[in-house]
Amino acid sequence: MKQEFRVSRPVRDAALTAALLSAATLLCSLMMRVAEGESYVGFVYVLAVVFVSRWTEGYVWGILASFFGVVCVNYVFTFPYWEINFLMTGYPLTFVTLLAVSVVVSTMTTQIKRQERERLQGEREAIRADLLRAMSHDIRTPLTSIVGNTAAVLEDTGTLSEEQKRALLRDVNEDAQWLIRMVENILSVTRMHGGEGEIVKDYEAPEEIIDAAARKFAKRFPHTEVLLEAPEEVLMVPMDAMLIQQVLLNLMENAVIHGGASRIRIHVGREGSTACFAVSDNGCGLPPERLATAFDALATAHRGRSDRKKNMGIGLSVCRGIIKAHGGTVTAENRPEGGACFRFALPLQEDGNGRNDEGETRYEAEGQGADY
Amino acid sequence: MKLKDKVLIIEDEQSISHFISTILSANNYDTLIAEDGAEARSMISSHCPDLILLDLGLPDMDGMDILREVRAWSNMPIIVVSARTHERDKVEALDAGADDYIEKPFGTSELLARIRAAIRHTRTPLKNGGIAQDGQFSVGGLTIDYDKHHVLIDGRDAHLTLNEFKIVALLGKYAGKVLTYDSIIREIWGPKAKADNQLLRVNMANIRRKLEKNPAAPEYIFTEIGVGYRMRDEDEADDAKRADED
Repeated sequence: MKQEFRVSRPVRDAALTAALLSAATLLCSLMMRVAEGESYVGFVYVLAVVFVSRWTEGYVWGILASFFGVVCVNYVFTFPYWEINFLMTGYPLTFVTLLAVSVVVSTMTTQIKRQERERLQGEREAIRADLLRAMSHDIRTPLTSIVGNTAAVLEDTGTLSEEQKRALLRDVNEDAQWLIRMVENILSVTRMHGGEGEIVKDYEAPEEIIDAAARKFAKRFPHTEVLLEAPEEVLMVPMDAMLIQQVLLNLMENAVIHGGASRIRIHVGREGSTACFAVSDNGCGLPPERLATAFDALATAHRGRSDRKKNMGIGLSVCRGIIKAHGGTVTAENRPEGGACFRFALPLQEDGNGRNDEGETRYEAEGQGADY
Repeated sequence: MKLKDKVLIIEDEQSISHFISTILSANNYDTLIAEDGAEARSMISSHCPDLILLDLGLPDMDGMDILREVRAWSNMPIIVVSARTHERDKVEALDAGADDYIEKPFGTSELLARIRAAIRHTRTPLKNGGIAQDGQFSVGGLTIDYDKHHVLIDGRDAHLTLNEFKIVALLGKYAGKVLTYDSIIREIWGPKAKADNQLLRVNMANIRRKLEKNPAAPEYIFTEIGVGYRMRDEDEADDAKRADED
């Protein structure tokens, strides 16, 4: 069901190699018309070999390019022209230089790619470890409260009024709801790390996701007004719908629980090559010092006990993890007219599994101008 | 006096079956509880319940087996209760003939609304009474005319393409029920059609833009993420009202 837009790797690499070598050859022949001598020819090919080795996979294409370069230098661009002259001075040196450059650059590129992958892996591990720490820190309090409150009702010998009992049970209910939300976030994290750390994406219409999220949200918070806006044009965005729904739910719940919002607006629109989701509310906004660390679970965990119910760090760091895994970006800001606005952008084109060909994930926070 | 509907709760966790049974009794249902698959089998044949609430994770067998067994001989409404969060399980249960599914954890009002809807659907002959009577299905401002092959929205033709009409007509025929992506694709593009969710989604996106005032907050056709689509039921508004009162 997934659509494959990408050309296979070897075909792409071959085309790239051919293009770069043709460009080098063209450049040399042009320069020969205007400049004296031929000393630059070798350098132009060195440059071409560097690029080939950097942008293709493995060593093969770089080495092929080196051979081609050497032959070109010898056959086309050095006297006697259009003849192979193995006795030419410096010929073996040119050859060895090109070959060495190609091997060194290819090795470095492969190494960079590997390090990048390891860094990503490490980052994912770090997110998971952060979450576990933050959660084990937070989970004891509601459990203690549930045990205590229910025991108070059960062991009551008629001293508690009906009203007091209801109040205790209401607290139990609230704590249990909080635990459910926590578990749903844990499930999202395990879903993300379920396979080989890759998420399964399908093309989805964003309006379906925001509506489903809003309906789920309405079951828990029936008194919050939610306004939904989708683009006129039909957008299809590659995503794991359940995970993006979790992101939207976390953002909406945050707005109500931490921002005290009574109105939430979700807007989806195309922005360049991304679909941009904006969740804004009329709550109290984020404290300025929290804007930078809003998505960091540990930063909240360290803020101490008084902040338990306000552990938005966990929900938000799950959001960040999910968006990162989609190759998207997420930002938080306060709206000038009051309230917070969270935006996340998902790429419209499938590019592997949230990675581009270099194995990188784009996740730097981007400040995007408000469109309302 | 109205005869009470009998609900069989198949659930191995006593704390859950106890709370469901309490809620249902308080809302005028008779309840039976089976704690494992074997007990469930014998109770289904001996008591012939009006509705089954089936938990998929049973100690002695897969709940799906019970679902398939019952469907082999009966249309009695079955609501699957699932703690599994993967949509695959819901799709599988619906395709095997479950009437609806409800996800743990659920609220009492949601549970009661689903039970009412499932019993009502089974008692309505020919899937949808309205269609059987005058070839039309109406909900809110939406009318599907099965004889003239068009869809009216607030009295005006919505100008659907043929496939779009077929999709809307299908959802209307089973209004209130979730139809899985695959079952819709099979019905519209034929049994041999390659399951192409994207084609269906693009069609749905176009339908929404023709039928709904705000495509982002639809009134008629809802998405169940990862599972399928569902057309609003005539009585859904009443249900929501009653759920609030519960």
